[in-house]
Amino acid sequence: MSNPMVIVNEVSKSFGEIVVLQGVSLTLDRGEVMCVIGPSGSGKSTLLRCVNHLEKTDRGVIIVDDHLIGYRREGDALRELRESEVAVQRADIGMVFQRFNLFPHMTALENVVEAPIGVRREGRAAAQERAMDLLERVGLAHRVNSYPTMLSGGEQQRVAIARALAMRPKLMLFDEPTSALDPELVGEVLDVIRDLAADGMTMMIVTHEMAFARDVANRVVFMDHGAIVEQGPPEQLFGAPREERTRTFLLRSQDGAAQGT
Amino acid sequence: MSAAGEPRTEATVEQLVSAGADLRVKRARHPGRWLGALLIAVLVAVLVRSVVTNENFQWDVVGEYIFDEGILSGLVTTLWLTVVAMLIGIVLSVILAVMRLSPNPLVSGASGFYLWFFRGTPVLVQLIFWYNLAALFPTISLGIPFGPSFIHGSSNAIITPYVAAILGLGLNEAAYMAEIVRAGILSVDKGQDDAARALGMKRSRAMRRVILPQAMRFIIPPTGNETIGMLKTTSLVSVIALSDLLYSAQAIYSRNYETIPLLIVVSIWYLFLTSLLTIGQRQIEAYFGRGHRGQAKGGRRGRRLPWSTTAGADQGAAR
Ligand SMILES: Nc1ncnc2c1ncn2[C@@H]1O[C@H](COP(=O)(O)OP(=O)(O)O)[C@@H](O)[C@H]1O
Ligand SMILES: [Mg+2]
Repeated sequence: MSNPMVIVNEVSKSFGEIVVLQGVSLTLDRGEVMCVIGPSGSGKSTLLRCVNHLEKTDRGVIIVDDHLIGYRREGDALRELRESEVAVQRADIGMVFQRFNLFPHMTALENVVEAPIGVRREGRAAAQERAMDLLERVGLAHRVNSYPTMLSGGEQQRVAIARALAMRPKLMLFDEPTSALDPELVGEVLDVIRDLAADGMTMMIVTHEMAFARDVANRVVFMDHGAIVEQGPPEQLFGAPREERTRTFLLRSQDGAAQGT
Repeated sequence: MSAAGEPRTEATVEQLVSAGADLRVKRARHPGRWLGALLIAVLVAVLVRSVVTNENFQWDVVGEYIFDEGILSGLVTTLWLTVVAMLIGIVLSVILAVMRLSPNPLVSGASGFYLWFFRGTPVLVQLIFWYNLAALFPTISLGIPFGPSFIHGSSNAIITPYVAAILGLGLNEAAYMAEIVRAGILSVDKGQDDAARALGMKRSRAMRRVILPQAMRFIIPPTGNETIGMLKTTSLVSVIALSDLLYSAQAIYSRNYETIPLLIVVSIWYLFLTSLLTIGQRQIEAYFGRGHRGQAKGGRRGRRLPWSTTAGADQGAAR
């Protein structure tokens, strides 16, 4: 049995006075899909951004595919890695953002080939061919030469997913990938993610789409106030939550969903 | 609510509905605009007539000197100085702006000091200072500090008037441009840097491929403005005995006393160059605006004349 893809152990993080993560621990096996749920401000985004070291941790370790992220062990201390060393680690971890963050001055195709050519030093022809395949896979073969502003939110997010996949990541991080979308565009993005799950991609997904989480996740983590309150398989966490706070949150988000649509 | 005097009966509504698709859309009338345009046209006509027919402007002398050899060589000097000073200014300003945004306080402080010094002293003083550098530092050597030097010579030989001019103008410009570049970088959404770094780009690559190209949209308009400003600021080099466009004209009218016509010659050339720069600026703006709504690839909607100013073209001119 190989080691888990992701090990987060006792990670804490503060922004100045505000404690955002306090002793978070979790593991994610290879090929597993984890959904992270919890109220706004509970530290979900920060946790995800620590996994690819977009945020520095104050304490604890994060290990992805047997690599200590962001630091090197020096005796009983952790030495920060240089920016260029962290960049090499990040290249293997894909990330998809709530606001898509496509590069607006590049077409869909240029967005997708940018990092494979610039970071991985792949040949242009090969990178473009693969980018075309990926864009086709997310259903955008006809939009390759469009600039992001000419695309709908759902299309932009699918380009963003193709852009992340182009780096052949070992792990994909999604931070509320459908929260900025009009309701009728949510489905097309979730379908792409489902397709990735079926393909065996290891993923950590922060989401408010409870039905989707229930359907796609192997494990659901509920966070509140910077800590994991409860985690388990979706049937258990949604069906028979152990903690009072989880129950309250799930009830409230049901009401919200009922009101929202 | 119905418009005044318009009787609202069943009949008129029915008529409207049945006429429906057959009705043509006409533009709203603007009698005020026409009146204004007429007034302006008359004023312009009066002004042009009084200038063209005024003997004192001596248009024949203007015609005589507009392609004069001295004027043309001054023109070349002005152009050349503008281009080189702006190039130095732009390259150095990007470095200064990136330094200014560095998390390292020493690096950011050094850049801050540079800006403070060069923006805080008149460019005329800086020009004279560079020109007289030999008085302060008789010899100049370039090399490893406290180690061997590669270039070594007397300041008088190295700092010619040309070198003094491009140093003075270029280094001063860099300070102003650095603030423009910094504002441009800061105007790019933070998510762009996140996305670039999440893809494994190093800071320098993210800056070069993602941040700066987007910052360009905000940097170009004020840079066009700076270039036009520089075109005219170069006239200060007459104090260090370089014959630019203005100085060449002064040299001629100090001999023949045709002051006004020669200053008209100079103004015509400056206006001509400014127009060229404005057109060039539009092209560059369209290029860096690609991917943004309302500025499709290959240029803007409709043609614009050089004197129809774009947004931002006139800000920051005063200093
Ligand atoms: N860059 C930052 N600087 C200061 N505080 C931050 C920053 N990013 C997040 N926070 C704070 O950390 C807390 C957790 O934020 P976040 O991880 O975005 O929560 P979530 O994604 O669960 O909504 C919030 O209180 C937020 O205000
Ligand atoms: Mg969040």
